Amino acid sequence: MSTLKRSLLEAHALLKEKKISVQELTREAFSVAKLNEHNAYISLFEDLALAEAQKTDDLIARDGVKGPLMGIPYSLKDIFLTENLRTTAASKSLLNFISPYDGFVAKTLKEEGALLVGKNNLDEFAMGSTNENSAFGAVLNPLDKKTVAGGSSGGSAAAVAEGSSYFSIGSDTGGSIRLPANFCGLTSYKPTYGAVSRFGQIAFSSGLDQASPIARDVSDLHAVAQALLKKDPKDNTSIALPGGGLSSLEGASLKGKKIGIVKDYEGKVSPVVEEALKKAKEAAQKGGAEIVEVELPHAKYAVSVYYLMAPSEASGNLARYDGVHYGYRCQDAENIEELYKMSRANSFGPEVKKRIMLGTFALSVGYFDAFYQKAAKVRRLIQRDFQKAFSSCDFIMAPVCQNTAFEVGAKRETLDLYMNDLFTIPVNLAGHSAIAMPTEDFIHGKNKKATGIQLIASQFHDSELFKVSYALERELQGKGSKV
Amino acid sequence: MSNAQYEVTIGLEVHVQLSTKSKIWCSCAVKTMAQVNSTVCPVCLAMPGSLPVLNRAVVEKAVLASLALNFQLNYQSFFDRKNYFYPDLPKGYQITQFFTPIAEKGFLELELEEGEKKKISLERLQIEEDTGKSQHASTGSLINLNRAGTPLIEIVSAPEIKSAQEAALYFKTLCDTLTFLGVTEGNLQEGNLRCDANVSLAEVGSKKLGTRREIKNLNSFRNVEKAIESEIKLQTEILSQGGKVKQQTLGFDANTLTIKVLREKGESSDYRYFPEPDVLPILLTEDDVSALKKKMVELPSEKRERYKSDFELSQYDASVLTQSKELALYFEEVMSLYKGKAKNAANWIMVELLRFLNEANCSPKNSPISPANLAELLLLIDSKVISGKMAKDVFEKMYDEKKSAKALVDELGLSQITSEEAIGKLIDEVIQKSPQQLSDYRNGKDRLFGFFVGQVMKLSQGKANPDLVNKILKEKL
Repeated sequence: MSTLKRSLLEAHALLKEKKISVQELTREAFSVAKLNEHNAYISLFEDLALAEAQKTDDLIARDGVKGPLMGIPYSLKDIFLTENLRTTAASKSLLNFISPYDGFVAKTLKEEGALLVGKNNLDEFAMGSTNENSAFGAVLNPLDKKTVAGGSSGGSAAAVAEGSSYFSIGSDTGGSIRLPANFCGLTSYKPTYGAVSRFGQIAFSSGLDQASPIARDVSDLHAVAQALLKKDPKDNTSIALPGGGLSSLEGASLKGKKIGIVKDYEGKVSPVVEEALKKAKEAAQKGGAEIVEVELPHAKYAVSVYYLMAPSEASGNLARYDGVHYGYRCQDAENIEELYKMSRANSFGPEVKKRIMLGTFALSVGYFDAFYQKAAKVRRLIQRDFQKAFSSCDFIMAPVCQNTAFEVGAKRETLDLYMNDLFTIPVNLAGHSAIAMPTEDFIHGKNKKATGIQLIASQFHDSELFKVSYALERELQGKGSKV
Repeated sequence: MSNAQYEVTIGLEVHVQLSTKSKIWCSCAVKTMAQVNSTVCPVCLAMPGSLPVLNRAVVEKAVLASLALNFQLNYQSFFDRKNYFYPDLPKGYQITQFFTPIAEKGFLELELEEGEKKKISLERLQIEEDTGKSQHASTGSLINLNRAGTPLIEIVSAPEIKSAQEAALYFKTLCDTLTFLGVTEGNLQEGNLRCDANVSLAEVGSKKLGTRREIKNLNSFRNVEKAIESEIKLQTEILSQGGKVKQQTLGFDANTLTIKVLREKGESSDYRYFPEPDVLPILLTEDDVSALKKKMVELPSEKRERYKSDFELSQYDASVLTQSKELALYFEEVMSLYKGKAKNAANWIMVELLRFLNEANCSPKNSPISPANLAELLLLIDSKVISGKMAKDVFEKMYDEKKSAKALVDELGLSQITSEEAIGKLIDEVIQKSPQQLSDYRNGKDRLFGFFVGQVMKLSQGKANPDLVNKILKEKL
């Protein structure tokens, strides 16, 4: 759990009661961030944040605290564009790239009055599950520095877990927010595809990418999500959730809810993860939920589908980093062909190159039908599986990862590593929403390593997902249903 | 070497810049000629995190064009990415419609000589974005991205065009149709329409088409014709010498009228098309389409038919008057005020007005003589206030001084004398002054009638109505 002295909502309450100032909160955050114990940040903006903090204190003195995010120090995965500040995607190709504009996420949070501490480390272009594929080095897990923080939003998780940021916005393309949350003992939310605008978010796989917040618990997450869930005219794929956003968590309950357990996932996880899932199931039942069995027969192909579709889109999305208009440019090229080749060869890391090549291959003449098109068909089968499953349950409870956090630098086969996303990827392929949260044994300190589960809701049911997650969290914490 | 043994087959791909106010994916103005790299934003520059948002006006214009070209609309169509690296394509891919374009299966009717018509089948109409422009100098290459994101439609014809002349006619007919429709400015010098021509030759009677070569980027009717002529000559030479035509991409030098090979087709890149995830499909409804049908205007071919049937004009006159939308509208406005014979209006416009306008390189829209003023002049002629000869002088003054016909006729005192009494008085005066000629005439010298007419006209300073002069003179003599 986070070593922050308090939750976001507690900090908000203190600000409201004038028991603490924004400047104090900000200095606290930087005192941790500057220790740089987990390599959670690529850039820190201390002077800027302190100046903003002072202004915010003045505003609060005049008009009071406007919303729950006002004056709260936070951080952003370094794929969200921030005007006049560096945005690198943890890649040498954008090492000194200063964004000329604020993306949707940065702009929205600025309007809410939140204070940007810095930009979080990540796997280069959000490609990875361990946050070791970064031009800025691996992120370490604050729970145990010998283990990885998970990826690709590892810096976001580490920042919240180390206590330098009350929340961070990461992204989730195939599990990139849920896995780090799971490894670092935090709570994270992957919204329905399109529910948070991608405008100003550096693209990896456009059809799957989704900005996703990470925080200490469901209530904090709820406060952050509420600010971000709105339709944005600058993103063609942006949608408005029914009811315009999230309803309050008041009166949340598990009573009468049908929670599906995926039969096909049985026996696929380590004993400690199995145990966590079992405890979560019991907690849900204790809260009054009914556990039912559901099937996702095509989910086993999800990793294969993902590693064809996402790299295909990435091969196009990353074509713009070619050394011509901005970013890294090889200085010794003799002609344009060489400029392209050398700029890209010298600036992309090995995982990014691997995926660009994979995607380029899958789209080539003669392979498009066999790979990309086939993957698109199987994706539809997975979507249909979910549809069927959700006809017999309200939510699905599933593991986040087969294992708990593994050691930094351990040798791993690419395919084994890719299989870590087995339980998270199907959610992205179907466009559904999910909340990942830590489980009982970890919460109560029985496990040093974090364990957790995810609750999955069908597209557009994000508001209900929050309520049931909140109720489950209370059961897991032993607080019981709130009356 | 004879050309006769080969049959020519041509297919054209025409890119048309749509005349929307803003670009296809962002709100930057479409102003290609503005200061270099001034009409650009993060979307045009393919900055990280930028996203395309489809401009609705582009879809409307594409649908209008589809309707005018007799296409079948796809009520659901999609965008795709065409991947290739080029410095004036900052995203590294072009967003286009590859798998399912907005319209398929249309046709364009060509009006050949002697009233003959020929339908050319159209395969597809797709929406896509234009690229920026590269400028190569000895010191390096410069890129102007003003054009990047300008909306285009690409119209692909079936290989049914049989000659260079027919290809040029196709390009012109397409250009006229789309310009009349208002979907493009139709300015060829500015590259609003650009044509790629696929040319192949096969022996007459052969069922298989020959290998085609593609000539890129032809931007005038003349260049289309000249380039294809040159290409036909080249392919004929190759084939008649027993050679084989290789699939190649060609360029045409309009100054030297020569074809040069740009690249072998085999070397061309694999574009790795895949569905564009950032832009939603275009969903058209019956309501959208019927609302757009109401915006359809009369096309040049329809105007020509109407001019022939309603105004009894010849095919030639109808063609000249519909050579541009502005001229057609000018003519129609004149006719709405002048109810006389259309042929009169047509003649004045085609002979006099166009001569003046062409000399001044002025468009009919900016003509110093307004349609209302020309109609007034025509009415003055018809009602014999001025003669046709006088009208030409008045016309010239109208053009120079931008005054109305009536004002000038009054100002110059040019009205014809049409009063019988006044003309009678003039005749009396002439007769009185010429007793000798009078007696000679009366003694049978008929030729002297002309003398009297001339004297009367002279006395009236040319203003006496000649018909009346003749009539009254006969009575008096």
